[in-house]
Amino acid sequence: MKLSHHATATLLTAILFCAAFSAQAADIAKTEHVTARLVTDARSVEAGATITVGIHKLIKPKWHTYWQNSGDAGTATAIAWTLSQGASAGEILWPAPKRLMIGPVANYGYEDEVTLLTRIKLPDTLPAGEAFPIRAVVDWLVCEEICIPEQVTLELSLPVVAKGFSTGISIRAIESARMKLPVENAWPFTASVKNSKIELTAASSDISRDKIANAHFFASDWGVIKHAANQPMSAEDGKLLLTLEPYESKVPQTLRGVLVLDEKSGGKTVQQAYAVEAPLTGTLTSQNNFAMQEIGFATALLFALLGGIILNLMPCVFPVLSIKVLALVNHTRVSRHRRHLHGIAYTLGVLAFFGVIAGIVLVFKAGGTEFGWGFQFQSPLFVLLLAYLMFAVGLSQSGLISFGNSMSRFGAFGSNEGYAMSFLMGGLAAIVATPCTAPFMGTALGFAVSQPAPILLAIFFALGFGLALPYLLLCYWPSLLRYLPRPGPWMERLKQLLAFPMYATAIWLVWVLAQQAGANAVAAALCGMLLIAFGAWLLASSGKNWRALTYSFSLASIAAALALGVYFVKDATAPEQTVRANARYEAFTPTRLEELRAQGRPVFINLTAAWCITCLVNERVALERANVISAFEAANIAYLKGDWTHRDPAITQMLARFGRNGVPLYVYYPAGASAQPVVLPQILTPEIVLREIVQSKTARVEN
Amino acid sequence: MIKKLIATAALATALVLPAAASPDIGKEAPNFTARTADGKTVDLKSLRGKIVVLEWTNHECPYVRMHYGANNMQATQKDATAQGIVWLQIISSPPGKQGFLEGPAAIKVNAERNAVPTNVLLDPDGKVGSLYGAQTTPHMYVIDEKGTLVYKGGIDSIPSYRADSLPKAVNYVRETLTALVSNKPVPNPSTRAYGCTIHYGS
Repeated sequence: MKLSHHATATLLTAILFCAAFSAQAADIAKTEHVTARLVTDARSVEAGATITVGIHKLIKPKWHTYWQNSGDAGTATAIAWTLSQGASAGEILWPAPKRLMIGPVANYGYEDEVTLLTRIKLPDTLPAGEAFPIRAVVDWLVCEEICIPEQVTLELSLPVVAKGFSTGISIRAIESARMKLPVENAWPFTASVKNSKIELTAASSDISRDKIANAHFFASDWGVIKHAANQPMSAEDGKLLLTLEPYESKVPQTLRGVLVLDEKSGGKTVQQAYAVEAPLTGTLTSQNNFAMQEIGFATALLFALLGGIILNLMPCVFPVLSIKVLALVNHTRVSRHRRHLHGIAYTLGVLAFFGVIAGIVLVFKAGGTEFGWGFQFQSPLFVLLLAYLMFAVGLSQSGLISFGNSMSRFGAFGSNEGYAMSFLMGGLAAIVATPCTAPFMGTALGFAVSQPAPILLAIFFALGFGLALPYLLLCYWPSLLRYLPRPGPWMERLKQLLAFPMYATAIWLVWVLAQQAGANAVAAALCGMLLIAFGAWLLASSGKNWRALTYSFSLASIAAALALGVYFVKDATAPEQTVRANARYEAFTPTRLEELRAQGRPVFINLTAAWCITCLVNERVALERANVISAFEAANIAYLKGDWTHRDPAITQMLARFGRNGVPLYVYYPAGASAQPVVLPQILTPEIVLREIVQSKTARVEN
Repeated sequence: MIKKLIATAALATALVLPAAASPDIGKEAPNFTARTADGKTVDLKSLRGKIVVLEWTNHECPYVRMHYGANNMQATQKDATAQGIVWLQIISSPPGKQGFLEGPAAIKVNAERNAVPTNVLLDPDGKVGSLYGAQTTPHMYVIDEKGTLVYKGGIDSIPSYRADSLPKAVNYVRETLTALVSNKPVPNPSTRAYGCTIHYGS
């Protein structure tokens, strides 16, 4: 009996031992190269809780397993969870990897030891007293010189307790993995494409040049950077810049990954990882001739100057310039000195305006907001005031307004005040130039906004100087005027004729306003113009006796015009915020573009704005022509239109991707998800559009 | 500031590793001459007028084994060669590394797994591999009749060493060849190559 008692005890012990052993065998598994263990920070769990579990891998020396982006070769570890109903497991939280170079091939992975953490959310109802089982099937590829795929199944079970009674436990494997997780939102990162490289910049007062021993960026996705390329670093206090080699000739919209820094701290090196997620601005040089070009500072300056000169011929500027030239013709006998001063005043007026614009762009750039060429037109108030101004200039041309004796005409040359007028005319020419984008300009300005302040200013001034140059030349070499007809009564007629383009411009601006601020704003604007005309008439018709009174009345009516306009426009909201899709086009969104491209369809993108004259002209003369429409249909091209009449960050970003900061932008993506986009010129003809579509097609067939 | 930028850019250019350069799609495929497993030599130029597929391989790599184990690679080879397309396997593993084979052994391995490439190229010094920037096994390239490189990348769209990925994956080589034969543009000319690292001899 005693013996049998003993035997029972032994048997019991054995059973208990086996049970314990098998339980342990389930949460740990050993392959030839890896010992894997399922760990958790919970000792017991309760309904609705979130716990952290980890797959801890002890890897044979010199062997490695892979990160989420495995690099040039290999495959990331995969975990398939089996949990009870209502429970869910999150994505793997990957600790910072190491770059493993094998000859010219670079892989991203882990050596020696790693824990892959996952958060598990427990069901909201879970009866206390039961067990919560966790099962993970883990697949990995472990490599040294050769690669072995391995798979293990790990299991553990946690006791469920009543709410408020669950307990945690500190596990070294989990704690040390947490330390190696990239820190989210630690520093502001920016990324841009420059000189065919991706520049990743981190800005923080924590960065000190002497402390950084090494820095490396790991892209989360394959195909973004060349994994094997060196990453030259330049560090200064407060700023770190890494230069990355793009994988191919296209870059993603957002740069995602992990920046790993080795920092010297008290004689040793500490590693810290930072999660990077930064919009990637700018584009790469493409082998394709028509596509985006990357340019240097000198070229950008030249382009800006050329663009400025061409602006003179654009419909926005030409009438204003003509007024000045007419005045010059009329005053050929004015002293050389005075003429030169007028030319300089006009140039300074243009430059002042461009300086202001550049200043605003810089201020907003510093604040993180991106503005593009013509951004001021996105404000309905600006559009309204400009409409008033145009109307007033028109009235003056028609001979209705005379602003006192000394400034009797916009083109006045009479006295010293005339210089102020020349200055203002320069500013006016620059203001009216903004809705036009001339060739060369887009490229130059796109380059400018990605540059530091001095370069940006230089390019804006070059553009302004280009705009002022033709008039300045006429002032210095009036002999050029000999090619114009002699002064005579025709000049007065022409001056009056030029009032009509001004009125037309005002009408167009009111039309823009209608889209921005609705019908009430249009009515307010028109009433405002009525008041301005009335005020002007009062001024012109005032006799000597009643001068003070009529002046007051006319000023009052002009003030009323302003007040009325401001009141109705200030809080107006746009009647229609987005491009209405019709049979021919859909509204542009980055998601829609990706979708269409994933379907393999060719896509034509038109980024436009109601206030952009160049855009509207291009649409009329090229994009809405019957032969272009039918070519689009025949090639099954999806037509996406983005309207930048109002501020729209998605469109601003899309512009930046192509190195631009203003509309218009026309991009053609040939069929196929990986086809290279082609950028079309800023001035379109049906032939240019058709040629592009046909060429992209044949180029690909020849492949 | 500008000086600094220029200096950084110059440094960046100087430090870029030239080794991983891979030829561009749409450009002439780099020419090579290589020894074949049956003791001849092949000059890529002599194959002008034919579509050529290059398949970097290492018969012991798990990814390669999966594609041969599931008969995926052989079926693709068979369909290609039946249309007169030249299929060249290339072994860039140097002696002593996994995947290295002498000519007769390479022929034997292919016989055992019913592989039907047009020929096997032996590249133990890694010259052809470096020329094409081949990094993994498998790593696939397709050259058209005019000698232009029209495809580089993976055998299919799902980087995996497990056969259960095959039914869902798009076989890019098949897709490229179908497009070429029917005179259509190649839908995905550059894709992710995945597999085992090629260990080039130094």
